[in-house]
Amino acid sequence: MSSKLVLALPSKGRLMEDCAGMLAQAGLAIAKSGSARGYKGAIGDLPDVEVNFVSSSEIAQFLKNGTAHLGITGEDLLREAISDCDARVTLRKPCGFGYADVVVAVPAWWIDVRRMADLEELAMSFQRRHGRRIRVATKYMNLTQRFFAQHGVSGYRTVESLGATEGTPAAQLAELIVDITTTGATLRANDLRVLDDGVILRSQAHVVSSNVARWSEHFRAIEQQVLDALARAKRPPTH
Amino acid sequence: MPTEAARKEPALATERLMSAFVRAGYEQIATTVIQPAGPFLDSVGEALRARTYVFVDRDGEELCLRPDLTIPTCRLHLARHPSGGAAARYCYHGLAFRYQPGGATPTHPTEFRQAGIESFAAADQEDEDAAILALTLEALREAGLDEAQLTIGDLGLFAALLDAIPMPTRWRRRLWHHFWRRDSFRPVLMRLTSSEALKAHEIPRDLVGRLDPANPEAAEAVVVDYLERSGLSIYGTRTLPEMTERLLAAAADAREAPLDLAAAALIDSFTLVRTPAPEAVRRVCDLLRPQKIDIGPALASFRRRLDLLDSHGVDTREAQFSAVFGRSLEYYTGFVFQAVSPKLGATSPIASGGRYDGLLTDLGAPHPVPAVGSCIHVERLFAALLGEGP
Repeated sequence: MSSKLVLALPSKGRLMEDCAGMLAQAGLAIAKSGSARGYKGAIGDLPDVEVNFVSSSEIAQFLKNGTAHLGITGEDLLREAISDCDARVTLRKPCGFGYADVVVAVPAWWIDVRRMADLEELAMSFQRRHGRRIRVATKYMNLTQRFFAQHGVSGYRTVESLGATEGTPAAQLAELIVDITTTGATLRANDLRVLDDGVILRSQAHVVSSNVARWSEHFRAIEQQVLDALARAKRPPTH
Repeated sequence: MPTEAARKEPALATERLMSAFVRAGYEQIATTVIQPAGPFLDSVGEALRARTYVFVDRDGEELCLRPDLTIPTCRLHLARHPSGGAAARYCYHGLAFRYQPGGATPTHPTEFRQAGIESFAAADQEDEDAAILALTLEALREAGLDEAQLTIGDLGLFAALLDAIPMPTRWRRRLWHHFWRRDSFRPVLMRLTSSEALKAHEIPRDLVGRLDPANPEAAEAVVVDYLERSGLSIYGTRTLPEMTERLLAAAADAREAPLDLAAAALIDSFTLVRTPAPEAVRRVCDLLRPQKIDIGPALASFRRRLDLLDSHGVDTREAQFSAVFGRSLEYYTGFVFQAVSPKLGATSPIASGGRYDGLLTDLGAPHPVPAVGSCIHVERLFAALLGEGP
């Protein structure tokens, strides 16, 4: 049991840089401890905070089981990884970076499919013709299942896809996809079109606190200090 | 006959269930706990994934802990008889697994025993329906349960009703498809009664105007021309004829006379029929008569099954009939039933079952195979025997 408040941050990539930038701007610069590639860090003014650098999807797990008190990660990863997300974690503050929309996209030439309701009708005729259900390639299995159920779409199968999801319809591994997009350029380049009501989630990175971590009054005070510092700081430029 | 001994020894309940099944001539079989996930996801649908422990093995195969034992039994039958057409009766008991999103409870555990019977390719379907239900109730009685409320339904009545009402075949398919989707069924039905709703579609006007439902051969060329001019290229598994068929259906809907309001009201009121079983035929006839709709053969089959249930010793006077009962599992096709203990309530049925004539073709049989079965939730049976609430 750690006696410090654990803050989980992304360990690499653009998201790590944006997090470090945001915290530095708020006067909470992180010093990596140990070797240069160390996965631990500290914040000068907050000696009772231990920073853990982990992969973005692990941050969701850390917050879900209370290994970390605070973390910064994408809402898409949280909602995918935690079925009872609103019970286990609290989204404290949107960061203004890490934008990604989780969307349902179909081949652009399917001019008869504009909305989710069309998808259910298509599923019915597809099954009759092919003797199987339409396949949805995605790494967001849970978000997909929940969103499709909300829209009454049930005649499909999900196919897990951990990379290059946008290529799966052309490769005939799936008929449509659920994937993230920021500008839509990758989807367009692959002749895919987002359904009119096919935005599952407009996601960005959030400062998130775990509801199941072991909190003390002291830790809550530190959390408030971090949030206040972030609120005072100028927001980083959005893109 | 139930005995005090049986009631005090729920541990023996499974044995008593199985011995009733075996005595009735059902072959006891065992299927594997780990099953390929595909057959479950294909036949029950993706909603199953939310309730099932699905995982990937080291070779990348998608497997699951069986969420019920009916589909494994079907697969075993097909492995023995690839056509599925050989008559066979099986019984089983074993563990099944379901993820419980709100947390497990004694009546909704994640791991539970299921005991059941399945019958394939029996010649006399109504008689087999009756025999399956009668044996289920008898086994429950022998295990010590002497109080069970019975609900029955017959999806064949709804299918016959759709067939008897004049409308395009594609509308029948649509209504049957949405029948399983409680929330969308009525909106879909109401749409068919409005010519504005039928004309409303999001297919480009300039395209739909050029599609003539009476001339489907010419339509593909029209669609290809439209796609080319829009810079859209065809790729993937879906084909041009498939999309053209759906575009033509939209064009046809736009010109079709809407569904008669009285017919839609009849369908709607039919789905609301709930009545004691002996009243069911009269109630349905009363609904149909003013509309001059005849579903005689389906009603005769229903009536005959009731008679057969009586001769098998099932008291149907206390049973409830619900016209939409069986709506929760898409693979049921005809007779459906469930038995509820008053101690546990309708959300935790102790036994349920029905006819599923389409499932074996979904699982690879070349032709439809008559199939009917029943399963008992053993943990709930125990809870009822011990008098525990839900």
